[in-house]
Amino acid sequence: MGLFKKEGKTCNMPYVKKKGFFGSFTIQSSLVVLFALVFIALFIIGVRGDLGILSFVQDIYVLRVIYDFLIHLAILPVIIIAFPVLGVFGLMLFGRNSCNSRDMIVIFMTLFTILFTLFMYPAVLEEGVHLTIPSILWLGISFSVDMLGFTMLMITSLLWLLVMVYAHEYMKKEMHCNRFFVFMGITYSAVLGTIMAGDLLTLFLFFEIMTFASYMLVIHGQREDSYHAGYNYIFMGIIGGFAILVAMMLLYFTVGDLAFTSGIATLGELGAMKYWIIGLLVFGFGIKAGMAPVHVWLPRAHPVAPTPASALLSGIMIKLGAYGILRVATSYYFPLEGTPGGDPVWLTTHAVGSAIIWLGIITMAVGVFFALQQSNIKRMLAYHSISQMGYIVMGIGVALYLGDLGAMGYAGAIYHIINHALFKSLLFMVAGVVFYHTGESNMYKLGGLWRKLPLTATVCLIAALGISGIPLFNGFISKSILHHGIVEAHYYGHGLFYYAELIFIVISAGTVASFIKLFYYVFLRKMPEQYKSIKPEYNNLDTAMAVIAIIIVFIGLNPRFIMTTFIVPQLNSMPYSSEFVQTYIVGLTFFTTEDLLTMLVVVIMGFGIFIFGTKFHLFHLKIPYWLSLEYLVFYPMNWVIRNACQLMYGDECKYNEKTLKRLALKNNKEIGFLDRFVIMANVFNVRYEGRMIKSDAFIYTVFITGVLVFMLVMRAL
Amino acid sequence: MITQLPIINLLLFLGMALIIPLFKKRSFSLTTNLGLGVLFLVWISSIVLLYHVITEGAFYYQLGNYDRMLGIELLINTFSVLFSLFIVSLVIIIYIYSTGDATEGVAEKEYGRYYILLFILLFAMLGILYTNDLFNTYVFMEILSITTVSIISIKRKKENYTAAFRYVMLNEVGSLSYLFGVALLYMITGYTNIELVSEGVQSGWSLYPANILTAIGFMVTGIGIKAAIFPFHIWLPDAHSTAPSSSSAILSAVVVKVYILIMIKILFRVFGIDIIQAVHIPTVLLVIASIGMIMGSIFAIAQTDVKRMLGYSSVAQIGYIVMGIGMVSMLGLQAAFFHIFSHGLMKAALFLSVGAVIYHKKIRNVNEFDGIGFQMPVAMFVFSIAALGMIGVPLTTGFISKLNLGLAALDAGQVVLIVVLIVSGFLNALYYLPIMISAFLKDNKDQQRVMRVEKIPKTMLVPLVVLGGLIIAIGLFPGELLSLLEAAALSLT
Repeated sequence: MGLFKKEGKTCNMPYVKKKGFFGSFTIQSSLVVLFALVFIALFIIGVRGDLGILSFVQDIYVLRVIYDFLIHLAILPVIIIAFPVLGVFGLMLFGRNSCNSRDMIVIFMTLFTILFTLFMYPAVLEEGVHLTIPSILWLGISFSVDMLGFTMLMITSLLWLLVMVYAHEYMKKEMHCNRFFVFMGITYSAVLGTIMAGDLLTLFLFFEIMTFASYMLVIHGQREDSYHAGYNYIFMGIIGGFAILVAMMLLYFTVGDLAFTSGIATLGELGAMKYWIIGLLVFGFGIKAGMAPVHVWLPRAHPVAPTPASALLSGIMIKLGAYGILRVATSYYFPLEGTPGGDPVWLTTHAVGSAIIWLGIITMAVGVFFALQQSNIKRMLAYHSISQMGYIVMGIGVALYLGDLGAMGYAGAIYHIINHALFKSLLFMVAGVVFYHTGESNMYKLGGLWRKLPLTATVCLIAALGISGIPLFNGFISKSILHHGIVEAHYYGHGLFYYAELIFIVISAGTVASFIKLFYYVFLRKMPEQYKSIKPEYNNLDTAMAVIAIIIVFIGLNPRFIMTTFIVPQLNSMPYSSEFVQTYIVGLTFFTTEDLLTMLVVVIMGFGIFIFGTKFHLFHLKIPYWLSLEYLVFYPMNWVIRNACQLMYGDECKYNEKTLKRLALKNNKEIGFLDRFVIMANVFNVRYEGRMIKSDAFIYTVFITGVLVFMLVMRAL
Repeated sequence: MITQLPIINLLLFLGMALIIPLFKKRSFSLTTNLGLGVLFLVWISSIVLLYHVITEGAFYYQLGNYDRMLGIELLINTFSVLFSLFIVSLVIIIYIYSTGDATEGVAEKEYGRYYILLFILLFAMLGILYTNDLFNTYVFMEILSITTVSIISIKRKKENYTAAFRYVMLNEVGSLSYLFGVALLYMITGYTNIELVSEGVQSGWSLYPANILTAIGFMVTGIGIKAAIFPFHIWLPDAHSTAPSSSSAILSAVVVKVYILIMIKILFRVFGIDIIQAVHIPTVLLVIASIGMIMGSIFAIAQTDVKRMLGYSSVAQIGYIVMGIGMVSMLGLQAAFFHIFSHGLMKAALFLSVGAVIYHKKIRNVNEFDGIGFQMPVAMFVFSIAALGMIGVPLTTGFISKLNLGLAALDAGQVVLIVVLIVSGFLNALYYLPIMISAFLKDNKDQQRVMRVEKIPKTMLVPLVVLGGLIIAIGLFPGELLSLLEAAALSLT
């Protein structure tokens, strides 16, 4: 139980600076990152048969044996999930006395996860990795990794490594680091499990573990607002989990199997039940994904978490919601491969897809609107996460809506998942660095930081250009694919999606405006006096950020790489029309005049919104309190209770005025929905508990008479 | 020899209760060790019996070799043996805990009496499970309620007396209702042996429907009071919260379940599915179960005393079990049986961990739990595991119960029950999570945040860890237990 022994001062423990170039932690971790990148590159190049790396490996006996052993290892998924947990044990055992060795353990465990993930690539290219473990959790759990899973695994593990490198430096200023890294490890393990799940039960299992483990990350600051945000987060998470659980029960009961391949044959004949199932699943995963009506936890939870955690929450964990929707929809609601285009199964998918598109559009709009109103950088980024998730969800919607022609939406959604993971975590890291150096996260109080933090300013610019969708950066690629997708939805589908496209453009412009605002207020402008003394030195924060920025630019310049390596194999394994995929996806040309012109319009509109908004103070709107759910539900309830009590008992009304008044508080920050519910329960309890206990004989008489009469009546009927 | 084991088990418990006073002058540890020995003997014999019943089939045991028409008959089948094994195993864990806990709040000279009562309690519970006779069941039930009353009032405090008095009055009403039902059945059939009564009831259903109907009504209501099914839960929170922690665990985890098992026996073995469906008892059960699941949790949310909160939580959880019964299907029964196991483990873990907190820190109010997780990590970890189980998080037994109940509800075509299940799970989260959060994440002003294993007797720590481990182990691998429970459900019909 030595885990928290040094709690409270762990991160203030002296960071011994070793002598020499390779002694410094920054250099060491940078080398690890470099090694990971080179290894990834070599492996992918090797497996694709270029440069003869594979034949080199095959020639040397020992290497060949090891290689063959590793790529045919069936328990690779379990190994990958176990690594972070091993890391957790490792850091509990060895990392107790030194932050450096603890963080090295964390970084190395992440590195090993990447390496083992890579060894699945050859198998994934052929038929995927499948592993079933029967009898656990009654129904048995199973893992299965296909190209979709592998893509998610790659982006997750790479990003996790970088964030861990970042966290080493950042967490020096936070408390309880050991706890942070322990739960980071558990969350990582759960995230990997969620991605590799081969059936809904496994997915649900790891999803729940992730919810509970990441709660500890959200609440890490242990301030009053983190408790509030955490309360929101965990209860929304539980509700989402229950929704998935119910869907799982319905599915298991009707289909008898939860594996991600089944259900096609029987689901088509289910009638309304299939809509219930997908509806519950979309709701459940949508909560995690920050989908519009149920996004409320996200803007509260992400800003209060320590920056490495919020980078991963926004970069990876909300994607798992989208991944879940994509996974269940494509496996349960897609027809089997090779069936002709007119498969009746598509009809369901079509209906579900159009609903999801609109949900995505609403999510985008809500996210951007609120993002423009924020002054706190991290809150603004959190709202942008919602908005960008809207893009992804919309892509998924198009992928479902258009049936076998939906490949464009699918590609866009996956591409945007990857891109958003990169630039949003980078932006959060930038916010973290700014906070790390200045202790301020209100953008209106910052300014001119580009002189002091040139590298941060550069990567922030890159990320901002990425998220705004400027050509030559990664966001442009996925946004134009998504734009193609929504145009196709209009073209092949319903005319109403013309308006969806218009909203899409306006929202992209809003995003541009929002990031102009961010960059202008934080890095440009005149610098306030108190920040003139900042003297940053090169450390891990910069390594991590620079690497992500480089990847963003790399993707922006080589859009086809991700497309051919990761996305096209997925599309080929899906029942999409192969002709369509060949012509429009493989043969897709980026940087066409049309796309560039659209982008130009968006950028000009963005500048317009920014200038207009600052001129007329449109970025500080207040939302009226009476629009909130708490107020609408509990204020009338309170009124009714109080008046009914007055009416019945007059002055002897027993309610405690004070508690009741709290119910009707107008301020929602102080007292949330659940708090009000608890107060209601209290009022109810005070009123009825004693009375109920005292009326035992009465209850008995009423009950027995009731039961007897009921039975007689039912029998007579 | 094996066929004699049931009666030997009963006599061992009774004998143990009788010889405890003889050791009054000796060291007290002798008594507890001897008691532990007896418990282990019965445990082993229960395992032997279970194996025997599974391989060779059920058997009857005639007490004193009287014919079943006249004398008492014991029926040893999978149902009775499996649940007696469950009771004995759980009681062993709680018993070991109670030796360390010093049965909090009990005067030292009462220790002997406490253990006497405990063994009589066990004797009665095993008797109820084994017996194949309605009147004999009543006798054991009376023994059980009188011992329970004594255990509740052993603390010699005013609130204990009030709780015990309320308990005894209500339970007497329940017992008498049950007895009235038995009398009505005797009037029709002329027997009290369950199988003979069952035959008589089946053939007399068309002749004397009113009698049988009244009998069902009174018996279900009577046992409903004793099992604390929702509108009759009123005695439970006070009784369970004032009793010493280890006996609260026994009362909530085991004793209440025994009454539910009697109800199952009566509904399925005496009346049979056809009759109870004809008079719509399942509907009644489902309705009161659903209301209980919601209302129990709502009352629990408002409690400040942690043991009262756990008591109300028991009310809600009993609703789950009754819901499984009310579905009147194999799946429903299996789910109800599984929840008896899983709730037994979870509630025992909760009461014992809270008992450890009360023992060590003298804290009962839920608002004072800030930072307890650092001072008592083991107790609070076990508490958290059990509480997560109550919410229905996967990897715990609670999840498997919820899954089973949900599937059974779908099988019975009652989708609305799933909604109740989910709402109830959410309400559970509403009162368990804040305790966990304040225990592990909030700072206590007086104590520094250093996590160190609490200094409470090892005999209290080990049972806690075992319970926590069992919750996770059965949650991970429920397959074996579920197939055993299926056999038990089959042995009822």
